[in-house]
Amino acid sequence: MNATLRRNLPFWLSIAAGLALWEIAGRSTSAAFMVPFSETMARLWQLIASGEFIPQFFDSAELFLTGFFLALIVGAPLGVLLARVRSIRVGIEPYIMTLYATPMVALIPFILSLMGFGFAPKVLVVFLFAVFPVLYNTVEGARSIKPELIEVAKSYRSTEWALWRDVMLPYTLPYTMTGVRQAIGRALVGMVAAEFFLSSTGLGQLISAASQNFDTGGVFASIFVIGVIGVALMRLGLKIEQHFARWRQ
Amino acid sequence: MSEQTIGLAAPAPAANKPKARREGGTLVPRLICGAVILGLWEIIVRALAPAYVAKPTTVAMAIPHVIVDPQFLAATGNTLIAVAEGLAITLVFGTVVGLLMGRSPTLERVIRHYVNGFYAMPMIVVLPLFSLWFGYSSAARLATVIFAAVFSIIVNVADGARAVPKEFLEVARSFRSTRMRILYEIVLPAATPYLLAGFRLAAGRALIGAVVAEFFLSVGGLGYFILFNSRTYHHNEAFVGVLLLAAFGVGCELLVVWATRRFLPWYRRDEK
Repeated sequence: MNATLRRNLPFWLSIAAGLALWEIAGRSTSAAFMVPFSETMARLWQLIASGEFIPQFFDSAELFLTGFFLALIVGAPLGVLLARVRSIRVGIEPYIMTLYATPMVALIPFILSLMGFGFAPKVLVVFLFAVFPVLYNTVEGARSIKPELIEVAKSYRSTEWALWRDVMLPYTLPYTMTGVRQAIGRALVGMVAAEFFLSSTGLGQLISAASQNFDTGGVFASIFVIGVIGVALMRLGLKIEQHFARWRQ
Repeated sequence: MSEQTIGLAAPAPAANKPKARREGGTLVPRLICGAVILGLWEIIVRALAPAYVAKPTTVAMAIPHVIVDPQFLAATGNTLIAVAEGLAITLVFGTVVGLLMGRSPTLERVIRHYVNGFYAMPMIVVLPLFSLWFGYSSAARLATVIFAAVFSIIVNVADGARAVPKEFLEVARSFRSTRMRILYEIVLPAATPYLLAGFRLAAGRALIGAVVAEFFLSVGGLGYFILFNSRTYHHNEAFVGVLLLAAFGVGCELLVVWATRRFLPWYRRDEK
């Protein structure tokens, strides 16, 4: 007990110092510019108590999860399939890499004018943000499979199914999980971008509405919440990646 | 976006395989795949979508008159200068903070959670705040670019500074080097590959930051050009802007790969 406390002490000290700094900075500047921590929390509580916050939160969560899992369902199998069919993989790789490096936000205006303001276009945005890291990393993993492994498996007359189960999947999975970690972060950006620029809903709407009403407290409260969600998801992603990366060494 | 701490875990294109031998066999499938993708796109849009929707042939026809359009050139210059400016500031500031953070355990303990926290935060949520702080101006865009990019540099440089081999530092110390010189002449060069990896991430994030800021703030630039043209049903013209952004993104990626091979040939991260 004492040992864990001592180990975590620097963490809590640094958090406390940061919050104190925030509080002081907020109190010594104008309220339109920055709101101290205590008031941010008070405003957040107000938003929760008034029932504005919770439905928006679930709205965002629905969008995030739908887009992210679609990306996973499409990206991972496609990546593994490309892993097996070498000729297509070699051909399509540079295009995947290009799309991976393209800022997907630039496509939002097109999606807006083609698909309008429903739920589907927003899911598409989250999907586009998240799918390419999964696909890119899976293909990258497939590329790293040593040809000898497949040759050995084949010379032992392994069936196609066994080859997948024992060679292909174990080899590509850690890479896919790196992609999943990146995709979690990107999907979150996609979610907020979709909520800003397509129909305004969810946490994105909470922020932009607060900023339009010059409700700095509301802006800080929503940014704080999204920041906490981002950190939590990142941790989760890292855990998932490390869990599967053990055999990569 | 926010890739956590180990930006290096993002796979760098495998540089160390005997590529030359395979290169000959890849060009043909690549061209075929490209043609198939473009063909499918063309057919699907022609069959299903309204006439104004961008498709390869019309985009190709739009390219000649868009790239001489002064409005387009001004927008491009505007955005790229903002990104370059932001990246320059980010590089200097991020490298200094990253080096200090990597070499000073105290500083690391104090700011680590904040750096990681801001890094994990989806950068575009700060836009409404920046619009309150800086107004709907290009200053807000610059601030967004810097905020988007700086943490990936700090995180990666700090990782690099931490990974400097102990022997280097011991030798330097036994020759009584000053702390500044150790930092500048040993830690910095040793951390350069990490710096480049961080820069690769930072460039992509800076570009996204700039485009999103232009959407949100209606500041003139490539993002605004795309937004404006797609709103007025000039999808083909707008798509040329997207192509340029993609080219810039890929260009940065290739630049880093090239620079790593050219200037840091001793650095082999794939070999363990």
